Amino acid sequence: MQDLAQLQTIYTATVIVLAAIGLYCIITKRELLKIVIGIEILTSAVNLNIMVMGLSDSGVDALAQSMTVFSMTIGACVAAVALALVVDVFRHYRTTDVRKLRRLKW
Amino acid sequence: MESQLIMYPIVVLLTSASIIPLVKILEDYLKFKRLKELLTMSSIAVCLLFLLTLYKQIPADGHLEVSLLGFNPPFGVQFYVDEFSVYMAVIFCGIGLLVAIFSYRYMEVDTGLDKYYGLLLTLITGMVGVAFAGDLFNLYVFWELMCISSYSLVSFRKYRWEAVEAGFKYLVMSTIGSLVSLYGISLIYGCFKTVNMREIAVRLLLAQNAFEQSAVLSLYLATILIICGFAVTAALVPFHTWLPDAHPAAPASISAMLSGVVIKTSVYAMSRILFTIFSLVPVGGASNSYPVPMVDYGFILIVLGVLTITIANIMIIQQKDLKRFLAFSSIVNMGYIASGFGIAAYLLYHYPGQHYAFKLAVTAASGAIMHILNHAVGKSLLFLYSGCIVHEAKTRDISKIEGIGRKMPVTGISSSIGLFHLAGIPPLAGFWSKLFIVWGGLGLLENTFLVGSTIIVVLNSIYAAGYYVWLMQRIMFNKSSSVVEKVHEAPISMMIPVVLLSTTCISLTILLPWLIPLIENAALALMVGG
Repeated sequence: MQDLAQLQTIYTATVIVLAAIGLYCIITKRELLKIVIGIEILTSAVNLNIMVMGLSDSGVDALAQSMTVFSMTIGACVAAVALALVVDVFRHYRTTDVRKLRRLKW
Repeated sequence: MESQLIMYPIVVLLTSASIIPLVKILEDYLKFKRLKELLTMSSIAVCLLFLLTLYKQIPADGHLEVSLLGFNPPFGVQFYVDEFSVYMAVIFCGIGLLVAIFSYRYMEVDTGLDKYYGLLLTLITGMVGVAFAGDLFNLYVFWELMCISSYSLVSFRKYRWEAVEAGFKYLVMSTIGSLVSLYGISLIYGCFKTVNMREIAVRLLLAQNAFEQSAVLSLYLATILIICGFAVTAALVPFHTWLPDAHPAAPASISAMLSGVVIKTSVYAMSRILFTIFSLVPVGGASNSYPVPMVDYGFILIVLGVLTITIANIMIIQQKDLKRFLAFSSIVNMGYIASGFGIAAYLLYHYPGQHYAFKLAVTAASGAIMHILNHAVGKSLLFLYSGCIVHEAKTRDISKIEGIGRKMPVTGISSSIGLFHLAGIPPLAGFWSKLFIVWGGLGLLENTFLVGSTIIVVLNSIYAAGYYVWLMQRIMFNKSSSVVEKVHEAPISMMIPVVLLSTTCISLTILLPWLIPLIENAALALMVGG
């Protein structure tokens, strides 16, 4: 029981660190691909949090496992659309630098 | 039998979305290019028929539910349908059908139309799925289905820089929002070890006094995360910055879809989750007991809503582009809807067990629910009209299209009805929904916060009526410029949805005595549960 609480604390800390890295990456990076990578890190943080929440003495709850698998699939779809858009941005601007695509108001 | 009927709308839409690529091959073989349009329209129409049948089968103050593959709650995928879900699904499918009719001529200059119609169908599937979802994770999956379709549709015309850039911005912001709300959902799962909304409400009721401090803290955190996450797609200030770029950048038919219904889905999801989970309704539904929310989320919703209305109203006046103007007006209207639900939740939280406060809360929630319908109809009408203008005059600049209403009389008059409807000029239905929200807020005069925020809402809606009438005057009565001289009326298949929607505006007004009981039923289903 003591081990479980310890494990949960460690994993929760990992989740918070991962989420912070992901958000930092999305906010500060100027490169579109790095923004996409930031989104992926944030997705992993949330997926890990679902697993942490399903943690019990007898392993991870089956519901949490199935939810995480679905969430990973959705994350892959979002990444695919995002990367396709990055390719289109590159075709228009010949760069993937966010500062160059300021024709809209951010 | 009834419970199987719940699945039919989703199954019909998903099946036709997946066979559209095959239809494309069949079209090439038959040399008839319009098969996919006809398939899209007919499948949405069939879905609409199923929904109307479903509405008749819902028992009075009850609900229908079905669990997939026999896994009953607390596990498994559950679909839960009451009056409010079907009401929302009918709006989604109705606007979707009109948009499909409009696209028949409007999109014919584009290529890759099989992808367009496939994505339109998955978009509608996602929204109907969100409306029918009975558990949180199921809701999230359909939510993402909707979001991914709408990212792709915003940047559908990828040869234009505006579409690609706005699409990427929309994707980044909306994905962060969805992930934040998924984080909130995972916290709720951690507290209750289930994601079924009904089951969570029951477990919360049983454990409400025996809750650990840390669990209460994570519930509050989850509430804030869910509100913030869904507020990104609902475009509540300060999360609104993607909307004025993304909605104008999309093709007009898709702007009508996005502004009309997609942003409503997020308010639906937010209110459904919060009202179902955190309202402690005694099991069995004794007649003298009223739901009491556990968390004061109504306060957050009112603050966000009033802030949204005020800031968007200040920004709207600087807009020169017609579609940007309409996009900001969508943000304003989302503010009304959010504050309507907020007033309802606030009243339930601060005046527990009082009959009068409960009645006021029902009024405010029905106002918000009615405003969803009114704004969906009015805003789709105006975005489709802007599509007609772009199709004919090739410009969206308000100063260049002055007086275009004289050259396009049918669509012009229809859009004026839409503008009056959104402005809330008294006999039209747009007035009554705002009146209900304000009525709910002004019912208890001793509450300064509620009265103060309601007065801000009232002042803003008077101000808003001013600029809608101003826009109508510029479109219909001003002297026409040189661009407008050569313009003539839009093609018939683009005219039909616009005229139908303006007829809907008028018939909503005439049907109000029959509509209000239906909407009150929906509000009760949301607040008390079936």
